[in-house]
Parts: sequence; structure tokens; C-alpha cells
Amino acid sequence: MHKLLMVIRREYLDRIRKKSFWLGTLLFPLLMLGLIFFQLLLVDVEAGKLRKIALVDATGRLLDAFQAKLSEEKLKDGKPAFRVEPVQVREDAEAARRSLEPRVNSGELFGVITVGNDLDAAGNYRFYARSVGNLAVQRTLQRALRDAVVGLRLERSNLILEREKLEKLLSPIELESFQVAAGGQAKKKGFDEAYFGTFAFVMILYMALLLYGVAVMRGILEEKSNRIMEVLLGSLSPDQLMTGKILGIGLVGLTQMFIYAATAGLVRLYIAASPMAGDWSGVLDAVSPLKMLYFLVFFLLGYFLYTSLFAAVGAVCNSEQEAQNLQTPVVMCLVVPMVATFFFVANPDSTAAVVVSLIPLFTPMVMFMRICVLTPPFWQIALSIVLMLAANYLFFKGAGRIFRIGVLMYGKRPTIPEILRWTRG
Amino acid sequence: MEPAVSLRDLVKTFGPHRAVDGISLEVTRGLIFGLIGPNGAGKTTTIRMILDIIRPDSGEVRVLGLPAGGARDKVGYLPEERGLYRKTKVLEMLEFQGAIKGASLAAARREAAGWLDRIGLGEWKDRKVEDLSKGMQQKVQFVGAVMGKPELLILDEPFAGLDPVNQNLFKDVMLDLNRAGATIVFSTHQMETAERLCREIALINRGRIVLGGPLAAVKSRFGKNSVLVEYDGDGDFLRSLPGVARVDDYGGYREVRLRDGADPQALLRALVERVAVRRFEIVEPTLHNIFIEQVGEKPADA
Repeated sequence: MHKLLMVIRREYLDRIRKKSFWLGTLLFPLLMLGLIFFQLLLVDVEAGKLRKIALVDATGRLLDAFQAKLSEEKLKDGKPAFRVEPVQVREDAEAARRSLEPRVNSGELFGVITVGNDLDAAGNYRFYARSVGNLAVQRTLQRALRDAVVGLRLERSNLILEREKLEKLLSPIELESFQVAAGGQAKKKGFDEAYFGTFAFVMILYMALLLYGVAVMRGILEEKSNRIMEVLLGSLSPDQLMTGKILGIGLVGLTQMFIYAATAGLVRLYIAASPMAGDWSGVLDAVSPLKMLYFLVFFLLGYFLYTSLFAAVGAVCNSEQEAQNLQTPVVMCLVVPMVATFFFVANPDSTAAVVVSLIPLFTPMVMFMRICVLTPPFWQIALSIVLMLAANYLFFKGAGRIFRIGVLMYGKRPTIPEILRWTRG
Repeated sequence: MEPAVSLRDLVKTFGPHRAVDGISLEVTRGLIFGLIGPNGAGKTTTIRMILDIIRPDSGEVRVLGLPAGGARDKVGYLPEERGLYRKTKVLEMLEFQGAIKGASLAAARREAAGWLDRIGLGEWKDRKVEDLSKGMQQKVQFVGAVMGKPELLILDEPFAGLDPVNQNLFKDVMLDLNRAGATIVFSTHQMETAERLCREIALINRGRIVLGGPLAAVKSRFGKNSVLVEYDGDGDFLRSLPGVARVDDYGGYREVRLRDGADPQALLRALVERVAVRRFEIVEPTLHNIFIEQVGEKPADA
């Protein structure tokens, strides 16, 4: 036990003392936070400006309705967000639009909307701007224009309605989503939020399993190429060496996760306390303590499973290049559930999703994804954990046997059938 | 007291190759014991089995009275292929090696600092291993093997690649530890070193012990029928003299091995007639010659 602790201590301190560890650990959440705040800031700055829109309207009938609809959009200080500038169309609408281009380029005009006379023609409605990336603004413009056009269509069909009545008829409906949880309480949740939060976590899981697995593999390779392996084996059993390495690097991973979780926790507290709490309920939900606990469980189970595989790869190879080839199947095992989550996120309860989430190599990501977007029956979660524990035991045993033989082999790399034979010995 | 190392009918095969083919030997406690043999003879495999780094196909290993692996903490080991953690500080490296022998961190640290002072690297203790010269790294590796006051010290080709200063240092430390009671087993193919240091030897060739026992007994078995000669003049005729079995020319002097029953005096007379003899000494054959006789004429892969 003392020896195992000493190996864990060395592995842990060795890595945690490196500048690169702290750089990666602190930079990542800072970068994420920075990105979020930068975006909020951008939206804020953008949102604070009056936007001038030129309307090149061949029908000559849309201006009032369009303008009225847009005037409902206000800036933070209560001033209108849009001003519409009607453009007289003489004969050529295209020429009129082109003559406005310099003003768009100079930034004086936010954009130009052109409308042809045939309201039902394809491509009749166009928006020209320097940047067409601001979806929120485009959606606002589209809604206002649609309302105006619908009004004109009705008029042309001799259905003349008062504005108020028209607005009422045109008022949009909103489809709200609720997640049905086992506890009985349905939670309001948008698809986007479920999707986004889940992917962020599955991504982190994938990256962590890959990074730490490769770290274990490279650590073993380094000890082999340093020729320190045999020095250590004079004092340690191969099992102690491998276990110590896996646990030591695992602790490094947990340290990093803890720092991430702490950052997420702080952000959560900040958001919960701010007036935005309502808008961000999806984010709050994504980092709920229960979900964090599941994340930890599946991270640990996946970590031991995959590091066993990576340790075996490291033990039988002599160089990083050799390992690159042999690690491919292991990495594929990680990529499969990554891709699978894309397919399963829409149908997390399908038979295929259930089956895949019970295969130990795929469980961490797929089961975690299912827990995020729906609440699977508890027996499925429990079964997946039991299966993973069993797989962990088998993989660890097998990797230990490969390790014992592999670490002292230099020269030609054994073939995969040979390696598999060792696991039986 | 049980012997420091006791091997019985040890066999280890790698695929079709029988690396160790029925080795039995005992190393009495307190000895300096030499495992000698050509490259590929099975020395390293034997040593690895003594340390339980690899397991024999059959046969029994007992170390300090315990089954293989049981006495690991009392055995110091310097493998032939040895390395250090390059990015680790020198003192921490040794501290770690002491700690995985079962010492507490504080004790290992004290011992490591003591050793570093003794080998003249006291000022380097907080430097990284990679900053050290090759010779310094060799010293650190050696100290790593003797951390924790081992009762048995196993060294695989300890002198290979060392400069004479380090060779002397290693030898001195080995003798000190031996005087303090440690048993030392080392492998080498440098016969001069083995001859100077060992009380007992085992000569291994092709996985078997071809010769073994106290050095003196081994040598006397080959009789006092070697002559060292030094003379001026061309001496190629030496080989064709009656009674001469073989001649090894070392440049400065020649070692002549006589046939059984040949008279050294007859050789001296024959020499005096032809050249000016400066040295004529009847000696036991050197280990080197015994080695060549036992091994050299039949290459390992014949």
C-alpha cells in the first residue's frame, strides 16, 4: 500500500507541478467564460444602436404596416430600435437598391429590403446587408414584413380588416416543451437547451477520457523508452506500477474536473442570483448537482475502462508512432458513442439507444446523454453501472497481464492475436 | 542461514528459444558472486527471474530464504538497461526509489542526501536529472539501486560504459556494502573485473552453467599450465613449438597455454635459443582464457 501511494504521489505531483497543466486547467474555463461574456457584451453593444432600414417597395403599400410593426421594437432606453426609410421606386427597383449600396457599406444604413410586385413569386423578398449573421434582427424584420405582406394580400383579396383585428389573427403561438421526469414533476425545457447542455457535457466526457487515457499510455511509453521500467520493476510489482499510474493520473483528472465544476458552480450561483435567472433556466438545469454526480460516476467508470485499454497499448509499443496505430481501435471506441449521441439525442428512448447505452465501452457517453435529455428507468442506469463495473474488472485484469509481459519487450511489436493470448495467461 | 540466492532447475523459453535451460546454483551469503558469460547466454534472463520480474516456466527461485518476489524490499537491483525520470530533480528521484523499497519519505530523503554527498553530487540535488552529464547520471542510477541498504545487491553489467573513475567508485561502494554484510551478485563479460572482485563465479553459456564454484577452485581445475612471456624479436614460431596448445598475443606480452603434461622448462629453453626473454612467469590460466576456451571455440549459435 505504501508503495502504491508512493507511485500515485509521484505521478500526481509530477503532472500537477507542470506549468502546462495549470495553463490548460485555468485557461479552458477562463476561455469559456470569456467567450460567454464577450458574446453578451457584443449583443449588448449591438442592441444599443438604432438601425436604419431602407425599404425598396415596388407595391408602394407596405410601408405603414411595416413601420408600425417595427416601431414596437424598443431599445433599452425606450427609444425605437428601427427606423424605416422608404425609397421611391421609379422604374428599376434593382437600380434603386444599387444606388443605396454606398450607404450600406459606410454603415449608415443597416440594410436594404426589396419587395417586388408579385407577392407570391419566389425570391420576391430580399434583405441586403453588410452582415447577415444577426439572426435575431433578421427574424424581427421577417415577422414585421410578413405581417405587412399578409395585410396586403388580404386587401388584394378584398378582405379589409382593421389593424387590431389583423394583428390578433396573426399573433404567433408558442409551443412550450416539458420534460416528464420520473419524480412526476414536469420541467419546462427547450429543445435547444437540452441539446446544447448535453453536448457540452458529452464533449467534455469524450475529451477527458481521451486526454487522460493517452496520458497514461504516453507515461508508460516514456518509462519504457527511458529504460526506467526495469529499474522500477526491481522494487514494484507490475500491478502496483500500472495501478499507481492509472490512479495518479486519474487524480490529476479529478483535480481538473473539480476546478471546472467549481467554475461552473460559481457561474451558476452568479446566474441564479441575477435577474436573468429565468432566461437561463436551461443552463441552471444543465449543471444541477444530480447531473454532476452522474457525470462524476460515468467519468470515473469510463476512465478506468479506457485507461486499462490505453495502458495495454502503451505497454506493448516501443514508440509513439507505433502506439498511434494500435490506439486507433481504442479511440474509435470513444468516437462511436460520440457520434451515436448525435443520432440518439432526438430519440433517447429508442431500443437502439437503450442497447448501446448498456454496452460498457459506450455507456459513459450514451447513458449520460440519455440521463440528460430524458430520465431513463432507474433499472437501466443501475444495470449499466453494474455492467461497467464488471467490464472494468475484466479489462483491468487483462491489461495487467498484457502490461506484465509487454513492458519488458523491446523490439518487434507483438500482433493483436498474440496480445490477446497474453490476457488468458 | 539459507543462501542469499538459490536456483533449482530453472527453465525459461521465449518462443522456440530456450534462454535458460536448467540452471541450478547457490550463492552463499556475504559473497561477491560473478555471473559470467557471453552476450545472449541467459544472464539477464536468470537475473530477471531472481527478481521475479519474469517468471520461470519451471524450476524454483528462492531469495534470502523466501520465494521469488517475497524479499523484494531487501534486494537492490541495477538492470543493464537503466534510466531515470529525466524531468525529475535528482534528490526526488532517489527519494522515490528509496520510498518504493518501503522506506518512509523522510528516511529515503535523508539517505538520498547522504549518498549524493558521498558521490560528490551534493550540490546537484535540486537540479533536474536531464541537466546531469552521462557520468553523473550513471552514479545516480547506481545509488538508486543501493537505496534502502539491501541485503542482496544484484547488478547486471554494472561496469559497462563507465569511465575508469566511475568504475572505481562503483567498485569501492560495492566492496563497502559487501564488508557491511551485503551479498553481491553481478553479471559481466569483462573477465578482468570478475577475476578481481569475485570469490565465486558461474560461467553461463547457452542457458546452462558450464563452469562454477569458487574462483580459485575453478582456476586450479585448469592447472598451472599457462606461461606469460615477454621477449624482443619476432615470436610467431611460438605457436609451432611442441607442447604449446594456444597463444594469446596481448601486444605487450603473450599468454601461452601448454598441453597437458608439457614441460614449461622445455619452452623456456626453446625461447632462450631464439630470442632475448625479458619475462617468463608460470601462472594459473586467466579467467579470460578459461572463458575463451569454454565459450569462444563454440559460438553461442553454432
